[in-house]
Amino acid sequence: MSYYLSTIVVYFGVDVLAAWALNIQFGWAGVPNFAFIIFQAIGAYAAAVVSLGPDSGANSFQRYIVGANLPFPLPLLVAGVAGGALALIVGVIATLRLRRDYQAAVFLLIALIASQVVSGDVGLFNGSNGLAAVPQPLAGALSSLSLGQYQWAYAGFTTVVTVAVLLVIRRIGRSGWQRALRASRDDEAAAGALGLNVAAMRMQVFVVGGVIAGLSGGLLVGFITAWSPGGWGYAETFAILTGVILGGVSNDWGVLLGTFLVQIVFIEVPSFLPEFGYPGLIDKLEWIVIGFMWLAVLILRPRGIIPERRYRAKLESGAEDARYKLPAGVGVGGS
Amino acid sequence: MVSGSIVLQSIGFGVVTAAIVAIGAMGFTLQFGVTNILNISYGNILTVGAFASLIVENNHLGLAPTIIVAPIAGAVVTFVLARTVFALFARRQAGTFELIMVSLASSLIIQYSIDAAAQGQTFSFTFPAGKTLHTGPFVFTTESLALIGLAIVVYALLMAALHLTRIGKALRALSVDPKLARACGVPMRRILNLTWLVSGALAGLAGLIYVSNDLTVSANAGLDFLVLVVAAALLGGAGSPTGAVIAALVVGITTEVVAAIGGSYYSQAAGLGILAVVLIARPSSRTIFGATRDEVTV
Repeated sequence: MSYYLSTIVVYFGVDVLAAWALNIQFGWAGVPNFAFIIFQAIGAYAAAVVSLGPDSGANSFQRYIVGANLPFPLPLLVAGVAGGALALIVGVIATLRLRRDYQAAVFLLIALIASQVVSGDVGLFNGSNGLAAVPQPLAGALSSLSLGQYQWAYAGFTTVVTVAVLLVIRRIGRSGWQRALRASRDDEAAAGALGLNVAAMRMQVFVVGGVIAGLSGGLLVGFITAWSPGGWGYAETFAILTGVILGGVSNDWGVLLGTFLVQIVFIEVPSFLPEFGYPGLIDKLEWIVIGFMWLAVLILRPRGIIPERRYRAKLESGAEDARYKLPAGVGVGGS
Repeated sequence: MVSGSIVLQSIGFGVVTAAIVAIGAMGFTLQFGVTNILNISYGNILTVGAFASLIVENNHLGLAPTIIVAPIAGAVVTFVLARTVFALFARRQAGTFELIMVSLASSLIIQYSIDAAAQGQTFSFTFPAGKTLHTGPFVFTTESLALIGLAIVVYALLMAALHLTRIGKALRALSVDPKLARACGVPMRRILNLTWLVSGALAGLAGLIYVSNDLTVSANAGLDFLVLVVAAALLGGAGSPTGAVIAALVVGITTEVVAAIGGSYYSQAAGLGILAVVLIARPSSRTIFGATRDEVTV
């Protein structure tokens, strides 16, 4: 039980990091990054291949690139950098003035193709079999710990990283940059007319999200020490996104709550249920229910359990109240 | 080193791929042009058609029922989906972005329902390939020639229906400006029903011919193929069958040539690469993106 609990703590930390990263892209900036999972995946793969030793060639049971044997915590940094670098490339799509549904479709296609390429190209990350035997961080230095103690140490470390990232996100969340982002989300043309460089801001927030996503992938691969492209299907993005939408888009605590409900209560708890049907049936049924859950949230509570806070600018005394000059319907109305 | 003859041969394969992509893309572009919903679950309708044919084929009911059941299954599932789920959200004034989210949720539900029923397996699909013909550097089977012929027939029928019949003209009017079309007395409901049925049938048919060419069926089949279909449909311009066919040729030949040179897993990436280049070069071009309206019609 303690073993299971520590595992859950790590998973939850990783999932919340991912959800916050997706939320700053989707919630703050309105970029429908339906390829989100590939940023977590590249972080995981990058961390894995730099912490593994060199690929020893034909006798090795798996093939991969790099193999740098880097010590902890360098693989985590590499994971973040990899996520950010990929975001710099894919983010070009986010900066285009496309209809949002086009953008969403293109991101989705990227996720579908990425998983085909990674599964097919064996030289890159060992194809569809994925990587195994990734060294655990500090496994040597902490070898005196029992497995259970190591698990809890990792859970503690994950929690520290999660809280640190939260503090960063909260800080950015109070900045003028974040307000400008939300403005460009609500009305791109108006934000542009005010002189905001919408494309540049979107690229920035996309890269920040990519770094956090990569970091979360690096954390996860260090914990479970193995990966295969099967775990990075396009649908994983929708598990994360369901948590974000259920909890409340653009609300850090809402996202935390939604992620807990979807990823832990809904996805992890059923593994306690007695098996029924053939192996893997429960997995598939979960995805069907996630689909229905998504539809239900969109119908019943489109703003989530804890909706985004409505901001109202405070007027300095004596300043003219600009609101009276706005024609009806120009405000930051809901979508 | 890749020899020239292999490249020429892959161009021949590319035309066959283009025929399959074209049928799927014509259905997608018709649906998208009229309803303005970027329906991701279209990919799962391809799978529905393929599995319907697989079931009939496994029961040895003959070739004709095997072929006919795919478009019927595609049309029925699409129609039900549109009239229940999409209609529910359209009544609530959902915009184009809400509806792509809804179509994704529907896609998850259909995908994993099929996967659960198929127990996650991949099935082999046998289809008579016919004789192999060598024409110059190109190699075709009679089946692949039949596919190319089928794509041409579908295109001709669709264009004739859109341009020569009254209801086809009404459909085009609706796709350009739904409000104006309604004001002119265009029978919206009838045309929309027809659009869902025809596009669903084309999706089912495309799913069948995709697996008859690929010879395996799994729950992921349609979604994998959707990449090329959507790339061709967006490249060709929403609501334009001619654009879809031309774009399908571009996408089909590129993917096959890339597959011959760089490995099959990069072929779909190449299809997306073309789309990305077009999006980056001309992101707001109206000639490439026909749909400019915001409201959806279901």
